[in-house]
Amino acid sequence: MDNSITTQTITFKVFRFNQETDYLPYYNTIEMEVTSEEVVLDILNRIKWEHDGSFSYRRSCRHGICGACAIKVNGKGVLACKERMNDMIELFGKELTLEPLSTKRAIKDMIIDKEDFWVKHEEVEPFLISHVDEHPEDEHIVTPQEAEALLDSDLCIQCGLCHYSCPVVEINEDYIGPAAFAKAFRFNADVRDEGVDKRIEVINAPGAGVWDCVKCFECAEVCPKEVNPIEKITKLHNQVFERGDALNNVATRHAVGFAHSIKKHGLLDEGELVRYSEGNIGVIKHVPVALKMFKKGKIVLPWNMPKSDKLDEIQKLVKSSSTVKF
Amino acid sequence: MSIPIHTYDVVIVGAGLAGSTAARELEKAGKNVAVITKLHPLRSHSGAAQGGINAALSDEDSIELHEFDTVKGSDYLADQDVVELMCKEAPKTIRWAERMGAAFSRNKDGKIAQRPFGGQSSPRACYAKDRTGLTLLQTVYEQALRAGVKFWDEWYAADIIYKDGKVSGVVAFNIRNMEKAIFNAKAVMFATGGYARSFKINSNAHANTGDGLSIVARHGLPLEDMEFVQFHPSGLSGNGVLISEAARGEGGKLINSKGERFMDKYAPNKMELASRDVVSRAIMNEIREGRGVGPRKDAVYIDLTHLGKDLIMERLPELRDLAITFLGLDMIHEPILISATAHYSMGGIPVDIDGHARKNNSEFVEGFYAAGETSCSSVHGANRLGANSVLEALFFGRHVGQSILKDLDSLTLREADESDADTMIKEIETTLTRNGKYTVPELREKLQQSMTDNAGAFRTEELLAKQVKIVKDLRKQFHKGCRIDDKSKIFNTDLQEAIELGHMLDYSLFIVESALARKESRGAHFREDFDTRDDKNFLKHTMAYMDEDGEITLDYMDVTLGKHELKERTY
Repeated sequence: MDNSITTQTITFKVFRFNQETDYLPYYNTIEMEVTSEEVVLDILNRIKWEHDGSFSYRRSCRHGICGACAIKVNGKGVLACKERMNDMIELFGKELTLEPLSTKRAIKDMIIDKEDFWVKHEEVEPFLISHVDEHPEDEHIVTPQEAEALLDSDLCIQCGLCHYSCPVVEINEDYIGPAAFAKAFRFNADVRDEGVDKRIEVINAPGAGVWDCVKCFECAEVCPKEVNPIEKITKLHNQVFERGDALNNVATRHAVGFAHSIKKHGLLDEGELVRYSEGNIGVIKHVPVALKMFKKGKIVLPWNMPKSDKLDEIQKLVKSSSTVKF
Repeated sequence: MSIPIHTYDVVIVGAGLAGSTAARELEKAGKNVAVITKLHPLRSHSGAAQGGINAALSDEDSIELHEFDTVKGSDYLADQDVVELMCKEAPKTIRWAERMGAAFSRNKDGKIAQRPFGGQSSPRACYAKDRTGLTLLQTVYEQALRAGVKFWDEWYAADIIYKDGKVSGVVAFNIRNMEKAIFNAKAVMFATGGYARSFKINSNAHANTGDGLSIVARHGLPLEDMEFVQFHPSGLSGNGVLISEAARGEGGKLINSKGERFMDKYAPNKMELASRDVVSRAIMNEIREGRGVGPRKDAVYIDLTHLGKDLIMERLPELRDLAITFLGLDMIHEPILISATAHYSMGGIPVDIDGHARKNNSEFVEGFYAAGETSCSSVHGANRLGANSVLEALFFGRHVGQSILKDLDSLTLREADESDADTMIKEIETTLTRNGKYTVPELREKLQQSMTDNAGAFRTEELLAKQVKIVKDLRKQFHKGCRIDDKSKIFNTDLQEAIELGHMLDYSLFIVESALARKESRGAHFREDFDTRDDKNFLKHTMAYMDEDGEITLDYMDVTLGKHELKERTY
């Protein structure tokens, strides 16, 4: 088990940009001997310390807990101090491109303007809302099961990887984003918290809220702490339904239509799901796609929709778990 | 070019546990507070604390026992009045953090869970899995934010305004664009962290360069007990990243190349859970006597495989992840490689029990306070016990915040003047324009390597004298000819690293000069040429001062003793 240390030659293409002096970004090509012990942050340090002192990036703790050093390697979001070089080489080969998390927000080299990230963070009331006894004689009693209900959302280190990998954040500047949603869940799931109403109002808002998530799972994929933000987003969907706060819109109807289909057939009726979500008029714009799907056998005519052979059991399950009224 | 002057009641430098806690306390009392930090607050190094935070909560434990363990752990150098205060307030402090939202692990009955830690008579470390610091940092930051504290993040505090025995503000620049500003205040508090980064193998964050210490020292103010640097037994082999004491607390065994559980030679009673300095020296001794393991034979094994997957995943998931990332070893299936790593700074800015910074043994600096690792109160003496540092930062952060609040009415605002920024402007100009053959990484590497070689866990007269000369030479090289590549205004991290190196060089001289003069072994300070504690000559705090030529003079200050009488320290 005393593994020896191995070395290989790697070519790095490094994104360079200085807001003060550069009109456009450019790339430096640097060749380096990389050892099997190194992580991506070691490479950033070596670029700065051995090649060009002006190369800049954020970093602090160097062991995956402060969240400062998120960048992209060959387009994949990574926390630089936690990503082994050997894994990167195995994944992408011996030519690696180092870029900031979001090139359009680049200020200098790997450093981006994260203002939008922190603004969204603050929007979800990211603190326990409860009267704080300043001189307590005892603690709240919280059972281990209640403590586990946070589902490790408290492990989020605000590195921004999920936020800047989210396709909705990219095109919708109102969208609060997966990191802030995970934070909202962290407090909504806390038995000590009294701020659920406020947070639900924020995360249920059309455009900004959880209903604009496209369920691509990019946030879960990229998270270096396995916080799994989309799991928390789904839990927030449920909280909204359970409280009866769901607004009647495409996204919520999509969820409800899904449930209706399962209740009726025990299977998903894709065609009816779109009609239910979009309404009888809205559905017309999907006709060209529907025709293609029909040709491929992905959707069937309503009277041909099959039923699950365990439909009775499924309907019992649906009945015992459903809360929505429309 | 004119420099804006921002006026506050209180300015705090550092946004970790101590800084954010103090800020919240003052903001809640209606005071106008600013916190300056060179990172985002959530990046502060408090968040890296893993294993726990001490408080005598259980019926089997007692405040007196916590005091005794702390005093004994300190090798009797701790000031006992300060220890008493901290231990007494610890249960309330932890429950207060819990009330603010900290996500502690729980017992079946729903109370805060506790685990054993080194040097303690009872399972006393309250924990949140193995990310205790993270939940506490998040909690105090979140509640400070909720209270409305103004954070100036990514601003670099470069100087204090100190004249006529009084501090009246901080001079800083915006790392984003080099915008400069003066923060004028009635009171200033430093919570700027420790100085273990001056060693090559260390557990500290890159940002943990201890700038606050030399900012103070350059004004001729003293630094206390700087020779006491804690070497933590379990840093990952190669890079020194910390594997929490929780690994030993949960039952980890230390094994050498011969397969021996060697702690029975060094601490037959407490074994792996002896005090940190004892375990670190044991590990380093095994390695230097040829019983090391790993590709460089510079480590020993810590074996946790007997704990089983479930317990490791429940209580040590982050630690497992770290060993996989940095060593490629999974502690569930195999032992991992560790060695001692420079970890914690017992010394720092001398303060009294209420955080007032000392001008000398008998006088205080008006309007200046410190708390957390950067301060020396001295609650840890010559060696800190595991899970006492997070407690110190959290408790004293709040306590010093309250102390400032009490003093504030009697403190007057001395109006700042643009010329107060002259020292900082000169430092920036010099750093940007200085030409020469030395680079920052080169000088820093020389400093860190030589500090590890000559001022580490085993020290001698010869090595320390050599190191004094090395540090003085490095300081000369730095001031005469250290150049940087980056001349731009946007995130000039090259400039920042140069300024930080200047600080590291200055306080390193305090470390070695203080260590050279302390001809005894006490706690973390171990002299092979004086290998026993000498209470007759050295039961006292070092107070070191630097003059304008960079020469250090030493003075000593009495230790506040108390009910825990001096004894030989065995584990």
